[in-house]
Amino acid sequence: MNPTLSDFPFLSAIMLSCILGLVAILVIPGRQKGLIRWVSAFSSGLSLILGIFLFAAYDRTQGGLQFVEKIVWMKSLGIHYFNAVDGFNLPLLLLTGIVHFTGVLTMWELEERVKEFFALYFVLVTGVFGFFMSMDLFFLFVWYDVSLFPMYPLIVIWGSTRKEYGAMKLFLYLLAGSALILPAMIYLFVQSGGVGFDLFGMMQPGTFSPFQQKFAFLFLYLGFGILAGVWPFHTWSPSGHVAAPTSVSMLHAGVLMKLGAFGVLRVAIFLCPEGWQYWAPWMAVLATIGIVYGVLVGLTQTDLKYVVAYSSVSHMGIVGLGLATVTAQGLTGAVYQMFAHGIMTALLFSSVGYLHDKTDTKSIPELGGMSRIMPVASAYFIVGAFAGMGVPGFANFWAELTVILSAFKVYPVSGVAAVSALVISALFMLRVVQKTFYGEKNQRFAGLPDVSPALGFPRMVLIATLVLFGFFPSLMLDVIQPSVFAFMEGLPK
Amino acid sequence: MTWMLIAPELYFCFMAAVFFTFGMTARPEAKQDGLYLTALGLALGAVVVSTACGCLQGSFSTIYRVDLFSQVFKAFLAMGYFLVICICPELPGIEPKRRPEFYLLLSVCTLGMMMLVSSVELLTIYIALELSSYSLYILVALRRGEGRHFEAGIKYFLLGAAASAVTLFGMASIYGACGETNLPAILNAVSTNAHSPMLMVGLVLTLSGFFFKLALFPFHFWAPNVYEGAANQVTAYIATATKAGAIALVLRFATLGAESTYFVHLLVVLAVVSMTLGNLAAVVQKDLKRLLAYSAVAHAGYVLIGILCMSENGFAAAIFYAAAYLTMNFICFLVLVKVADQGGNLEVVELAGLHRRSPILAVSMMAGVFSLGGLPPTIGFTGKFLVFTAAMEKGYFSLVLIGMINVLISLYYYVLVVKAAYFSEPEESLPAIRLSFPTKVMILAILTVIVVGGFYPDFLYSLALSAAKALVA
Repeated sequence: MNPTLSDFPFLSAIMLSCILGLVAILVIPGRQKGLIRWVSAFSSGLSLILGIFLFAAYDRTQGGLQFVEKIVWMKSLGIHYFNAVDGFNLPLLLLTGIVHFTGVLTMWELEERVKEFFALYFVLVTGVFGFFMSMDLFFLFVWYDVSLFPMYPLIVIWGSTRKEYGAMKLFLYLLAGSALILPAMIYLFVQSGGVGFDLFGMMQPGTFSPFQQKFAFLFLYLGFGILAGVWPFHTWSPSGHVAAPTSVSMLHAGVLMKLGAFGVLRVAIFLCPEGWQYWAPWMAVLATIGIVYGVLVGLTQTDLKYVVAYSSVSHMGIVGLGLATVTAQGLTGAVYQMFAHGIMTALLFSSVGYLHDKTDTKSIPELGGMSRIMPVASAYFIVGAFAGMGVPGFANFWAELTVILSAFKVYPVSGVAAVSALVISALFMLRVVQKTFYGEKNQRFAGLPDVSPALGFPRMVLIATLVLFGFFPSLMLDVIQPSVFAFMEGLPK
Repeated sequence: MTWMLIAPELYFCFMAAVFFTFGMTARPEAKQDGLYLTALGLALGAVVVSTACGCLQGSFSTIYRVDLFSQVFKAFLAMGYFLVICICPELPGIEPKRRPEFYLLLSVCTLGMMMLVSSVELLTIYIALELSSYSLYILVALRRGEGRHFEAGIKYFLLGAAASAVTLFGMASIYGACGETNLPAILNAVSTNAHSPMLMVGLVLTLSGFFFKLALFPFHFWAPNVYEGAANQVTAYIATATKAGAIALVLRFATLGAESTYFVHLLVVLAVVSMTLGNLAAVVQKDLKRLLAYSAVAHAGYVLIGILCMSENGFAAAIFYAAAYLTMNFICFLVLVKVADQGGNLEVVELAGLHRRSPILAVSMMAGVFSLGGLPPTIGFTGKFLVFTAAMEKGYFSLVLIGMINVLISLYYYVLVVKAAYFSEPEESLPAIRLSFPTKVMILAILTVIVVGGFYPDFLYSLALSAAKALVA
């Protein structure tokens, strides 16, 4: 067999680019902040390029698992180092690459403990990449926790607004999630009867009895659901996002919450499809409450970051609703929404972060008329807000449309509730935009500089992505759908 | 050539003799460097000898058995001894004229535990146990200072003596029930007569003495005081090497009760209470050593989960956990010794500003406590993972769930330690902590073990599995 391009371990190369970046950062003395920034940008750029390449090179007609890397890791426990991409994780790998790269650029002006910041940031991203590409349950869990623990130092050192409280709450909530996941995971491993931790070995029909699936699904759903911001376990998310520094909020709302949703999909739904079908109506109830609740609580907020954070709770509810429909369309929409919301929310957090850095406030009443002071920075936020409202032309439109259409067929009440909530949230977002960026100008901020083109670059990348996938949704749908259809066909009827 | 079988023990006897000579000849005003370098060199030799004897097999009549199980633990013990010697170059907590005795007692104690892991006869076990215990009683009281250490020393001695008495009573009951003092013979008797109450009572009482060493509930009362009262290096030794020895001993005895569900249920209760109580008590501790003492109580509970599975995988998990615990606990004590350079105790808040004073120590502390807390990718996670997997194989789902909830509680106070090291600033600026080059190398080596043990535990786990096979064989 001739070695072909797809034999090159691209997935490991992505990980390696992060790990090498991390090692380089650790070796460089802390004084040389400029060099650390450039190394970070270079390494994150490399992983983004590899991610884009994978996305382009993925064979859409063939579908299924591609770029497979599989090595026996621990024979006695049946653990494999097993990475691959399919239609489910490819969009998320691309998302991680984009948010990672733009997050590094967004933090370009950071001056305080730069070395430690980027070192922890790279640990976090390594974990996220690993989680998305891993097809082995053991590694999945290891990477999951690797991506969680840097959150605490990142928030406590560089954060703002009740950061110690927010950080501890976030840390304990998310680890409570893994306290539910690990027993369920070991339970499935033991019940699988020697298959090991190989996800595709375990998901063969008949491996687990219906009872086992219902039982384990509950734990896995709740465990990963905490990270996905499922109501009523979402309370860590607003306080954590608000306390975190800009790029960490971006990464966290943009990517980390998807870890939870993706965990529900990849572990809970893949391994326990019968549990999924059994619990789906309850998932729909929680998701619908989350959508409505996020919007309603968002209405009362006066802090820009809280507004964005609660809109995340609501948008993640849409992902949850898509997963709860148990239809191919709903799954497709959920995966698309994970991607679109990740980019959109990263854009919003990075815009708010810039305003906050310059004006030192995030309070909507204090700001005002910002579009006349910093027109470009304002434009970034406004575009993000429009994308969030589901205006056609942005990726979010397709994603939300797909989910809501499928929800109408299965759960009409949830569909109606979700649509009304989205309408209210659109009206509300418009008011936020109006109060913050138009109207009376606050003279205190009159002389502040607008965002420079260099700092604006990461936001432009995010907007371009939203528009690209908004105008050409098939770019993404062609990737997602073959895997979704293949999975749905394999389900027990 | 049968003498080769006990080469590690002989080596430790030799070491004890060397330190004894030092104690007889050294003048108090003499410089201590020669003594320390001798100790370091001998300790390194001990590691080499113990590891080299790893594959030996054989026995001395029916009293003393040398197999993979005992040899693995001897290697752990020698490793723990060596690591503790590594953090002794300053020894501000011990008076200079007492230092030869300090090394002497440390060696004798390790010798006692090495004999303990090989003994398979009740009387030998008891003698070996006392050999190590008495050395520890003196070591605890050796600390320089006014009074605190006496309280700790006396408390340890009295409670330890009581525990020994209980053990003896238990051994007498076992002998009374089956007329044997030899473990394999007792095992035979047990399998024919599993439900004899006298035998079970004897077994539980005997184990009580070993649980005392392990600081398992309800035999943990000494731990906080002794940890706090003893010199930092001695505490480090008690917290690492003696725990490994105690785990080995509990493993040997627990196999006797495998048939009895009452016995297993008792262990389940002890494990649950020990984990929960240890973690909850640790939450409110301000002194770092007391915190680690209560976390030791909790960890004793985790280890016991592995043991009470009574399966090969469970025993292997417990053996793995012993090694993991030794490594990760040691690195915490290393940081403690280096930060408290006057030999005093250390409050958690006194770690403030550590990331500035010594980044490498701050990283070590973070790796150490996160590993103790069981976050991947650390050796501590793998240990818990293996223990929980073994428990799940036996169907203890709720036990695993309780264990995970405990992990969550423990992370709260571990994170507070990390927070103190990384995010708090001291009120007045403290000087940087200088580390010698060998110390840095050692820290890097231990960190590597912690991370590699989390990502690629295959080697260590296979070793533990073979040792567990040797144990049940």
